[in-house]
Amino acid sequence: MNAHSSLLGLYEPGQGWLFRFPVGLKYLLLLLVTVPPLVWGHWGVTVAALAAVLVLLGSSGIGPVRALRIGWVLWILLLVMAVYHLVSFNPAAAVVQSGTILVAVLAARMLTLTTSTPVLMDALGRALGPLRWVRIDPRQVALAVALMIRSVPYLIGSIDDARDAARARGRDRNPALLLTPVIVGAVAYAERTGEALHARGLPGDD
Amino acid sequence: MISLRGVSVVIPAVRRGDADRVLLRDITLDLAEPRIALVGANGSGKSTLLRLLNGLRLPTAGTVSVDGHDTVKEPRAVRSRVGFVFTDPLAQLLMSTPIEDVELSLRSRIRGQRERTRRAQELLDERGLGHLAHQSIYDLSGGERQLVALTSVLAVEPAILVADEPTTLLDLRNRRALRRTFAALDQQLIYSTHDLDVAADADRVLVLHEGRVIADAEPAAALAAYEEVLV
Repeated sequence: MNAHSSLLGLYEPGQGWLFRFPVGLKYLLLLLVTVPPLVWGHWGVTVAALAAVLVLLGSSGIGPVRALRIGWVLWILLLVMAVYHLVSFNPAAAVVQSGTILVAVLAARMLTLTTSTPVLMDALGRALGPLRWVRIDPRQVALAVALMIRSVPYLIGSIDDARDAARARGRDRNPALLLTPVIVGAVAYAERTGEALHARGLPGDD
Repeated sequence: MISLRGVSVVIPAVRRGDADRVLLRDITLDLAEPRIALVGANGSGKSTLLRLLNGLRLPTAGTVSVDGHDTVKEPRAVRSRVGFVFTDPLAQLLMSTPIEDVELSLRSRIRGQRERTRRAQELLDERGLGHLAHQSIYDLSGGERQLVALTSVLAVEPAILVADEPTTLLDLRNRRALRRTFAALDQQLIYSTHDLDVAADADRVLVLHEGRVIADAEPAAALAAYEEVLV
């Protein structure tokens, strides 16, 4: 499985200030960086937000190489969007649309690269506390979100795997051929995840 | 103790006129020994039998109970008593790094996040995996992954551990390491294997053939019967 290129990155303990910053404030920081380019839709705001998020990451010891390691699938997607707007003589839209997505991903990475998944789960569980009023256990919702985050690199990797398998048979030119194995793989992954939880008695009584 | 009474597992035929596929036929067993091994050819029903033991699979007929708890009626009680280790550890690991995976198992037992992280690190250290705590699970070797998967399952402190061909994907060194780990466990251990040396570590060996238990004895006698069937 080619699952190394993770969209949201892998947490490794660090000494930077973001690592020590309370997780609730990190969520707030994420919104502060992501919402303005979405609301204003101006290229200048997008560029400023992009610079801000790179500075935030850099000031915590996460350099641009690690920060921008978001996987080739997303880079191609961003490039295609930007090229489309450029050939349509709309360079501002190229910056705003591709840039805003990049800002959102980098802001999310700011959270996931500096916070371990269990800490994120606990914070989310606390934030979703009111769900108890409608008899939904927020800790289970947090677990579901964590598993969803964990599945992203796996599913991106499964596209790589399907492409490699098609290439091995000399049939890698038709993207439609990749669709079936990727969907079947995703369903199998979901089933395996359920079994893996069951295998260690989760969800428990929490 | 695990009890199986008249257990069968049948997959209904997809097309009318075809015969149903019988995976296990009328199995009655009491599993009480500390180490029990299952051997048999591919498709003999080993994995199906193991999956019945913690309710990953439910019987079509008969009952399976763990310490008196029925796997159909009390699945949560059964799950909390019986941990399961898969052949492929990647199918078992749910988080991105070993420490996060072990922490997930500890989540319902230890509420405090710092204490949970400390305990997870301690459990990994005990298995000699502490230095890998923050590595991506994709960067670990097969043996390391299997030991992390085992650590995560044992973190929920099951009374019984079921392992489906846990050594199949391992090289000789890791196979020996896993055998040593298994030998040191306090839990009752029930496992399937194609490795006759690993089977010989058990107190009791069950030989499965076409969904039936054809031999049930101490290792030497059972493995002799197995080799006879294979030849």
